[in-house]
Amino acid sequence: MYGGHPPRATCSRVEASAPSSLDNPGQDPNRPKEKGSKMATNEMDSHVKEIAKALGNRVPEQEIARELENYVSVYRVSVDTAKRSIVKKHGGDPAGLLKAAGKTVQELRAGDNAVSLLARVVYVDRRTVNVPDGAKEILSGILGDNSGTVPFTAWEASGLELAKGDVVRIANAYTKEYRGRVEVHLGARAVITREPPEALPFQPRAPATGGAPVPATVSEIREGVGLVTLTARVLQVEPKGVTVDGATKTVHHGLLADATGRVQFTAWKDYGLAAGDALRIEGGLVKTFRGLPQVSFDERARVERLTESDLPGLEQLSQSPRAWIEDLAERGGAVDVTLRGIVVDVKEGSGLIHRCPECKRVLVKDSCRLHGVVKGVPDLRVKAVLDDGSGALSAIFDRELTEALLQKTLEQCLEQAREAMSVEVIRDAVTDALVAQPIEVRGNVTSDEYGLMLMVQEARVLRVDVQEEARAMLGELEESS
Amino acid sequence: MIREVAWRLFAGEYNDSRKELSDGGDRSPSYVLTPLGAKVNRLLVSGVLTDIENLGTETEPHFRARVSDPTGIFHVYAGQYQPLAAAAIAKIAPPAFVMVVGKARTYTTEQGNVYANVRPERIRVVNAAIRDYWVLECCRFLRKRLDLARAAHGLEAPTRESLQKLGCSPAAAEGLEAALQEYGKVDLSRYTAMLVEGLRYLLPEHRERAERPVEEPAAPTAEAEEKVLGILTALDTDGKGAAWDALLAAMAKAGMEASDLEATIDVLLDRGAIYEPVLGRIKRI
Repeated sequence: MYGGHPPRATCSRVEASAPSSLDNPGQDPNRPKEKGSKMATNEMDSHVKEIAKALGNRVPEQEIARELENYVSVYRVSVDTAKRSIVKKHGGDPAGLLKAAGKTVQELRAGDNAVSLLARVVYVDRRTVNVPDGAKEILSGILGDNSGTVPFTAWEASGLELAKGDVVRIANAYTKEYRGRVEVHLGARAVITREPPEALPFQPRAPATGGAPVPATVSEIREGVGLVTLTARVLQVEPKGVTVDGATKTVHHGLLADATGRVQFTAWKDYGLAAGDALRIEGGLVKTFRGLPQVSFDERARVERLTESDLPGLEQLSQSPRAWIEDLAERGGAVDVTLRGIVVDVKEGSGLIHRCPECKRVLVKDSCRLHGVVKGVPDLRVKAVLDDGSGALSAIFDRELTEALLQKTLEQCLEQAREAMSVEVIRDAVTDALVAQPIEVRGNVTSDEYGLMLMVQEARVLRVDVQEEARAMLGELEESS
Repeated sequence: MIREVAWRLFAGEYNDSRKELSDGGDRSPSYVLTPLGAKVNRLLVSGVLTDIENLGTETEPHFRARVSDPTGIFHVYAGQYQPLAAAAIAKIAPPAFVMVVGKARTYTTEQGNVYANVRPERIRVVNAAIRDYWVLECCRFLRKRLDLARAAHGLEAPTRESLQKLGCSPAAAEGLEAALQEYGKVDLSRYTAMLVEGLRYLLPEHRERAERPVEEPAAPTAEAEEKVLGILTALDTDGKGAAWDALLAAMAKAGMEASDLEATIDVLLDRGAIYEPVLGRIKRI
């Protein structure tokens, strides 16, 4: 994706193999040293050319190739480190290599202390935060590339001008995790250089997936599938304006469903879609958007409207399907599902909370992680653990649902907490109302490394005719015996 | 780390477990393996909390609670490492319907006998409707495990792969394979009977049978108490009390049924004539 450089997938595969052999140096002493880190010649060539270029072609490629081979195969350092070391050794500037060392947003992992990235500023805001030694000016916002978006904070903002739409090359940033999401932080060591917009051409299709589309049902659509062929019915669709390369474009966003489930979609072209349409989409690309897999397609896909199909009707598909948590864990989330389970715990941070007026983060000891000491805005929410016997997930209830659960308004809760001189009373009330309670909930389920999270849209106490089901099961058992 | 699921299973199946699995490391989770292949790290239990004893002290309580379901009794232990549950247990007046979320653990006696118990994370008083719903959920999952176990018994040499072909999820296949290795092809009729018992418990037309009180042992006699105390003294050779199994064996020899012994021990515990210095050992005061 970076102009004339090798495809990302090839690079990352090589990078991944080198550190893993470093991790277990003593694993097999008899193993030949070259094994496991041997690179295909053409990959090697492109790295050599890149190093040569960074050194202004002062050093013969043959010599570079020999050194690179030595670093990677004999000393088994990662390709990145090897390239940097060679450039440094010959008196060059490793910054000239950053193009290949960069990661895509999707590849970012928390806890990386030296991240390089080519990205577009999707959103940026300058503000002042309170830190222990006074006020400090920072920039924060969102960075994006063709693989996804990531929040960022630049802690050394004086003299740094960033505007929406800018394409920047970032080196030596670090990553952290906040609420299960990776964030990019630009500290004192970070180097930010502006690039022309062409450096990051807009591509709704990830470059590395390749290959022919695979046939899939909706429930088989998950991150990393790449291109799919899918037959599904449009449940809902609406136009949405998005800004691409500074220009406004209309996309069509909605929900697709088949008998196995439902999935969000984005059509980058106006197909004149309407709810109820049965479609065959050949070459839709699966991406993850806000923790949910989604299908996007444009003129590169073949989209066909079917007059006849085996798909269930619109009304049937519009009902929120029952799901087991075990299956959702395997699928990595789902849109608008109904779950039945028992609440087995109510977590910290449930009940009456205060949010930062700037960024809505929950305050800890009257302090926002990003904006320091602020006057909090009160809110109600519940983080419950719902368990259905096949798996467990975090179920988040918003203010409205929490008020309904407690049968109290936010104001009444504030009053109650004032009287008790503690917000704990509200959490206790939530615990009393929910723990050990069988419930039925409906909403979207997203997934991250901490597991699944359900944003509850509807909740009700589960009432099951226990006798009827027991009688039926007993009857079946007696029949089969 | 992904949160462990809370298994729904009856005391009858859980208490038949003789094996605790662990990957080794200090922080890696452990699992109680049941004969039907449930690999239980956490479980959800509901039933009647019949009695609570404090095995610790007033200031450092260590509670043992018994929770009875249609098939048997769960032994629930809560001490300093289960502060939330211990505080909750202290406030419950038995008998009461409860729901318990807890961790699965086993205790191994010196003789090598293994007893499965529950370390509660949360315990709540619930109503009969919730308890009934729990019984129904247990029946659903037990039926599924039974069906899979039956299919597995039909295989020549069941492996994880062949079990998955039968429709097991990867996790269920792994548990079932381990259970077949550990327990062999267990008698499934025992668990089918448990399933039927659970279902009948929910139905008024079978209520007479279901509501039959848990067999009340005959009131222990003074003679039995003397006998137990005598044997306790004889067995307590190192001052650490008598092992429960040794006591059981000695009493069987003396012609006393296990249920009678249990009842006698309970009376003596209540009266403060004996106590449990550590789990599984009984000592005279």
